[in-house]
Amino acid sequence: MSAANPGFPVPVPDADTQPFWDACARGELLIQRCGACGRWLWQPRPICSSCQKPDPVWTRVSGDGVVASWMVMRPPTLPAFAERVPFVILLVELTEGVRLIGYLVDDQGRLLTTDGAAERVAIGARVALRFHDQAGTPLPCWTMAARRV
Amino acid sequence: MVTRTPRAARRRQAAVVGIYALPFSKNIGMTERRAGGLAILGALDDAGLTVADVDGMFRYVWEGTTEMEMARVLGVQNLRMFGEVDYGGGAGAPTVSHAALAIENDLADVVVVWRARNRSSGGRPWVSQLHATGQDQFERPYGLVRPVDGMALHTRFWIHRYGWTPEVLGRVAVTQRGHARRNPAALMQKPMTMDDYLGSRMIADPLRLFDCCLETDAAMAMVLTSAERAVDLKTPPAYVTGFGMGSGPQMTAMTFYYGERLGETPSRYVAPELWRNTGLTPRDIDVVQFYDAFTPQIPLGFEEYGFCGEGESPAYMADGAAPPYNTSGGGLSEAYVHGFNLLVEGVRQVRGTSTSQVANVRHSLVTSGNVVPTGAIVFSKEPW
Repeated sequence: MSAANPGFPVPVPDADTQPFWDACARGELLIQRCGACGRWLWQPRPICSSCQKPDPVWTRVSGDGVVASWMVMRPPTLPAFAERVPFVILLVELTEGVRLIGYLVDDQGRLLTTDGAAERVAIGARVALRFHDQAGTPLPCWTMAARRV
Repeated sequence: MVTRTPRAARRRQAAVVGIYALPFSKNIGMTERRAGGLAILGALDDAGLTVADVDGMFRYVWEGTTEMEMARVLGVQNLRMFGEVDYGGGAGAPTVSHAALAIENDLADVVVVWRARNRSSGGRPWVSQLHATGQDQFERPYGLVRPVDGMALHTRFWIHRYGWTPEVLGRVAVTQRGHARRNPAALMQKPMTMDDYLGSRMIADPLRLFDCCLETDAAMAMVLTSAERAVDLKTPPAYVTGFGMGSGPQMTAMTFYYGERLGETPSRYVAPELWRNTGLTPRDIDVVQFYDAFTPQIPLGFEEYGFCGEGESPAYMADGAAPPYNTSGGGLSEAYVHGFNLLVEGVRQVRGTSTSQVANVRHSLVTSGNVVPTGAIVFSKEPW
């Protein structure tokens, strides 16, 4: 990879996914919703896989959700990631019902060096959307939502 | 009596008549083309056939040598049937199934399938995959680059849903190492205890080193022909009783987190096809080779293929009710060949030549993939 991107895999958008990444650059999370049947769809696609109507509508969502699953990265992996271990990868289920991958980050969107214990990461825990800048790529990520006391 | 009308109505049955493996190693010291060619010649010799008999070839899409290149190298005069099956290790049983279909339908007489992979000396394919297209663009930038990463997110969910302790997966690793130590061809000969398993380092927490398959250079091949031709050959046939394939909804390879039922694998969909197609039930199966890139695939396999109910596999496996599984050591302790060693071991169990031979095997089940679109196949001692 070029010096501008030190070895992280980079998203290569196409016409079906470009609106998602354009929105990330604005700090917004867009998910497709079918204009006919109302179904939320992920990953991006040109046709609703529930009712087959073309061109689901890109719709802004809050990004609020819960942890559906999670893992802790350990070596051996790509050098760019190995430099950052341990860190947590989340599978987040949004309020809308779709599931996305993201890092566990702090309130400012910085990657946390953690095995998840201090943050009490657990399936079902509530999380909130943040964006993490990875060598110029804005990635949707999640931070633990404030617990009720 | 089971009803086998759908399959028995076919004109011909296929049988595996030749198997062969080059020695497993960390560095086989030759190209996949050469190793694959030698494995095919070995399997033909095992059957008492020659290249002149071959008129069909099927391969995994991930096989580096195409059927045409292999046919050129070996001097096959004409391939009447050929093709490829995709999705990594999901392609194992489906590739053999395609070969059987060609024979059953009288479209080929002698069909070769093989897998040659320098997955150890050739390096890790994921290290160079830095441009994330398609589904990968939403996963790989976060570090979900290794197969084990995709598996770890599923595994955490299964642990949560089913209450698995680490020992549930440890028992798989320890059991298969025991099988490997009876198999001189297996790469892993060192004893493994539960403490060894529990002490192995995390690779993709919750998965440890000993939850993962090996990185192996290997080349293996299998030859199939019709049942009527098989009886005249020098090896006892392993008859193909039936097979099934399946994907399930919203399927990707490895990272299928996006459908409605998180944690449900393609095997849920393969299993009913397999049992319908074979006319068998899990109670008819004497020995199993479950695809084992990672340990969780064994308890899940027992559940998804209906050997026990959902969530019951830890108790089922602990109380000795389960049939012997992965008797060569499998991908965890013999060699990782995208499941081709499991197919060959499934045939050996029918022949009676396994190093962990199960007594009186009538039906031998081999599954593939499990977390990718895949299939399963049953080899049997007797024809339909």
